[in-house]
Amino acid sequence: MHCVRRHLTVRTLATHLLNTSLLVSLASPLQAQTAREIIDRVDRLLRGESSRGRVTMEITTEHWSRSLEMEVWSLGVEHSLVRVQSPAREAGTATLKAGQEVWNYLPRVDRTIKVPPSLMMGSWMGSHFTNDDLVKESRIVDDYDFEISFEGEREGVDVWEFQLTPRPEAPVVWGRIDEQVRKADLMPTWVRYYDEDGQLVRTMTFSDYRTMGDRLVPASMLVTPADKPEERTLLTYHELDFGISLDESFFSLRNLRARR
Amino acid sequence: MAHDRLWWRIAWRNLWRNRLRTLITASGLAFGYLGAVLMVGLSDGMMIELIENGTRLMLGEVQVHSEDYLPERNMHHTIGGYEGTDLEVFLGRIASQEDVATVAPRLYGGGLLSSDEETQAALLMGVDPDREPRVSTLLSRLVSGRALVTGANEILVGSEMAEQLGAVLGGEIVVVAPAADGSMGNDLFTLVGTFDTGIPAIDQSYALLALPDLQFLMAMGPDRIHEVAMTVGNAQDSPRIAGSLGDLLADSELPVQVSSWTDLRPELADMVSLMNASHFIIVIVVFGMAVFGVANTMLIGTFERRREFAVIRALGTAPIGIGQTVVYEGIVLGVISLIAGALITWPILVWWHNSPLDLTTIISGFSVSGSQWRPILRVEYSVDTPIIAGLGLFLTSILAAVYPAWKATRVPPADVLAGR
Repeated sequence: MHCVRRHLTVRTLATHLLNTSLLVSLASPLQAQTAREIIDRVDRLLRGESSRGRVTMEITTEHWSRSLEMEVWSLGVEHSLVRVQSPAREAGTATLKAGQEVWNYLPRVDRTIKVPPSLMMGSWMGSHFTNDDLVKESRIVDDYDFEISFEGEREGVDVWEFQLTPRPEAPVVWGRIDEQVRKADLMPTWVRYYDEDGQLVRTMTFSDYRTMGDRLVPASMLVTPADKPEERTLLTYHELDFGISLDESFFSLRNLRARR
Repeated sequence: MAHDRLWWRIAWRNLWRNRLRTLITASGLAFGYLGAVLMVGLSDGMMIELIENGTRLMLGEVQVHSEDYLPERNMHHTIGGYEGTDLEVFLGRIASQEDVATVAPRLYGGGLLSSDEETQAALLMGVDPDREPRVSTLLSRLVSGRALVTGANEILVGSEMAEQLGAVLGGEIVVVAPAADGSMGNDLFTLVGTFDTGIPAIDQSYALLALPDLQFLMAMGPDRIHEVAMTVGNAQDSPRIAGSLGDLLADSELPVQVSSWTDLRPELADMVSLMNASHFIIVIVVFGMAVFGVANTMLIGTFERRREFAVIRALGTAPIGIGQTVVYEGIVLGVISLIAGALITWPILVWWHNSPLDLTTIISGFSVSGSQWRPILRVEYSVDTPIIAGLGLFLTSILAAVYPAWKATRVPPADVLAGR
């Protein structure tokens, strides 16, 4: 969901930043409902924007660690495609997200496999993201209520902190999401995910803010599960372009299989 | 002593004065004995069936894991850690333990099975095709196809799973599983057979692969396994055998945990002890009913002989002697009934044990905590049951005689003789 929206589909990251800035500027004087309507409108305006990036995913777990080089494409919030480039043994392995469905392509057996509902909570490529994260990202505006929980200085930086509470009927896995955003450049600094009992499940930390494509983005994102502090997934963008020419046909099962 | 023998003889003769009544009472007790032994035997049969189906199907009676494997079943926690352990040596050590009959190594993984049209989450179980059938009956539950051949990338799935996948024998199934190095193991397997255990949870979600094939898929060496399952001489002895095997393995370098089926399936163990406890209830109920019937008969018998007792009393016999003879009658009756009971019970028990009553066509079975019970009424022998039931019968006949005996000692000779 939130996390992946930033790493995997960079477009969504931009959406989010705009969402946040609008939310911030409008939340105080206006009703929350109104803020949401505006977020929605911005979200729709931005839908259709595309991106392409190259990213390294370094995963460290208690039992193993590995590093994957990946190429990532996205279109709107509904489509994304991730293809592993190295290591050689896994090169060609790809994931396609189309709407609420997630498909994997396995070059060794030359098959595409749709991730069944029972495995949506399973790990994505061995990382600390779940398949569900890929799907739910597009729904965050619909599924959560936003409110400002803090406004002021934290460690010398002027920030806002938001609390996202799932709507009663929303089919989400988190009980609460907290997020900190720098006021100066509207860059997120961290996001914390809590379960239904209010226990911290994982933390995402942003760093290495730089201009890629035509905008400022956090190029590094670190995810740490709360119950295993020694484990982590670090995503680092090396390249990022926005507004490239892609259409929906790019995000097809046929293209998922295509080796590049 | 001579006196005592006299009372015994009197008791014996008294019993046969009303032959029919004695025979009826004795047969009542004998059938009570038959009922108690058969009911306990049936219940034992059901219990053993549950244990066997609960353990023989997959579990085995004792299992060895790495000490940190249960309960999370983390795939990295193989026996001997990342390095594993020399399988043949380790299995040989376990098999050398007396009471251990057969052993089989296993590896588990979670993954996806995908046919052309469908994908299902599955529990992958890597088994040794030669050893596994000696421990569990899973591989003998094949409803189609044949057993696995090692190294040929073959797979067996439950019948339900095969249906959900729309897979046919000889068809290809893609197996995807997280591997030990963090990558996604994936490979093509050929479906060579399907099994049907009658337990939906297994038929829907299990897939069996040859151990080396699964090890390769999960990027694990040939020395890595999660579990050693074994059968032991007597399932009821499992906790003790698990304990001594734990001691045997404790001196090795490997931190292992040995569990008996009673630890692995506590609900099944609870049920078995509950059924054991119910055996006493069966015996108590059967003979509890008998005791009043017998007491009634004996009471009538003593009332009939009030005059007799009065005469004996008048001749100078102590009241205790009269009571004694009535109790002796009870004892003799008990012995006769027990012999008769044993004589009718034994052949029926043997016959029923050897040809269990199969009600499969009339009623369907049920499954309790992963153990299936087939509606086959089988009777088990045991040493305790006939003894306990015999003691119950004996106690019944004595207990039934106590009140009539006490009544007999209270016969006032003068009044009775005077007809008052």
